Amino acid sequence: MQVPDNCQIYDLTCYWTWMGSDGIGRTKVKPRAEVTITESMENSAAVNRLYTTKKFPLLIDARNIKSISKEARDFFSIQNRSTNINSFAVIIDSPLSRIIGNFFMGLNKPSVPAKLFNNEQDAIMWLKQYL
Amino acid sequence: MSSNEIETDSAKIRSEKILEVIMSYARLDFSEKTIISDKADVYDAIGAGVNMLGEELKSSVVSLREKEQLLREIHHRVKNNMQIISSLLNLQTHNVKDRDFLSLITESRNRINSMALVHEMLYATTDFSKINFKDYTTTLCKSIYQSYKKPDMKINFFIHIPVNISLEIDTMIHLGMILNEIISNSLKYAFDTNEGTISVLLNQMNSKYFLSVEDDGKGLPLGFNQEKDGNLGMQLIHMLTEQLNGSMKMESSSGVIYKIEF
Repeated sequence: MQVPDNCQIYDLTCYWTWMGSDGIGRTKVKPRAEVTITESMENSAAVNRLYTTKKFPLLIDARNIKSISKEARDFFSIQNRSTNINSFAVIIDSPLSRIIGNFFMGLNKPSVPAKLFNNEQDAIMWLKQYL
Repeated sequence: MSSNEIETDSAKIRSEKILEVIMSYARLDFSEKTIISDKADVYDAIGAGVNMLGEELKSSVVSLREKEQLLREIHHRVKNNMQIISSLLNLQTHNVKDRDFLSLITESRNRINSMALVHEMLYATTDFSKINFKDYTTTLCKSIYQSYKKPDMKINFFIHIPVNISLEIDTMIHLGMILNEIISNSLKYAFDTNEGTISVLLNQMNSKYFLSVEDDGKGLPLGFNQEKDGNLGMQLIHMLTEQLNGSMKMESSSGVIYKIEF
């Protein structure tokens, strides 16, 4: 997933986050990012700033992730908190990102529709139903 | 050393590190974590999985300990509150000479104490769900005996209950009340000579329990009719046995024997 240079990008500690021209929010994990609750809250605030008039789907590229703490996983599961996203897809490919992704989906049970994908095209196709 | 050998050595070291962490989690020691390298390979994936499982396990263990602590506190408070009620009843007896009233208060206090004992014993257990029947019965018998004991009274208790029988809290509350009524009746009415024996026996066959409580006292008065002559205690024994989906038989010859199946 390419970080564009023609729109507003939130350049965060562990993420780049922006709104795609197709109305799907994007967030890309930076190489070897070790995500804790601080970085997850920072990203969540940025994602919520992408909101204009209606809730939107979010595409997360987690292929470069190194680790994510339990507190951060719990936070991303969106249990008991408000959010501006209505669904999210997570792209994974390496053994490490696959383990983290599956673990997150299996144990932390996100409160909005969420799915893991091996490639960006399939993820976008799935997210379009939530536009 | 060839690059293949170096790689094998590195894999071995990393596997051993992961195993060490898994073993520390098995001991519920969550201070260790596997170190994730920048390779994002299979070892990193396994290590990350182990780390995350450890975090979830730690969270569950902490949550379980907190719940156990809460449950312990609840049993402790219930026991304390029951003891307060029992003490309040005792206070009502000050300066009272009426023997019937005093007897009524003693009976009520013993009923409350038989229930408080269940909570006291649950408070001391580790799973908060079951109580050892032999320990409970032994303590209950001592407690009831103390409340009815006269200076010249010498009653022996023979308690024959397998040590491995533990019962759920609801069953124990019912059985405690039943035992309290039967033993109280024996101590109050059975022994003219102030000497005797009360036996409590429990057997288990498949899923059924057979409880018998027997005294070697003078037996029931001639023409005793359970329904007509029975007191509140007798009514309680019948009612509580029914609530255990059990049945009760009472026989009297040289003493009184209650046989309860549940």
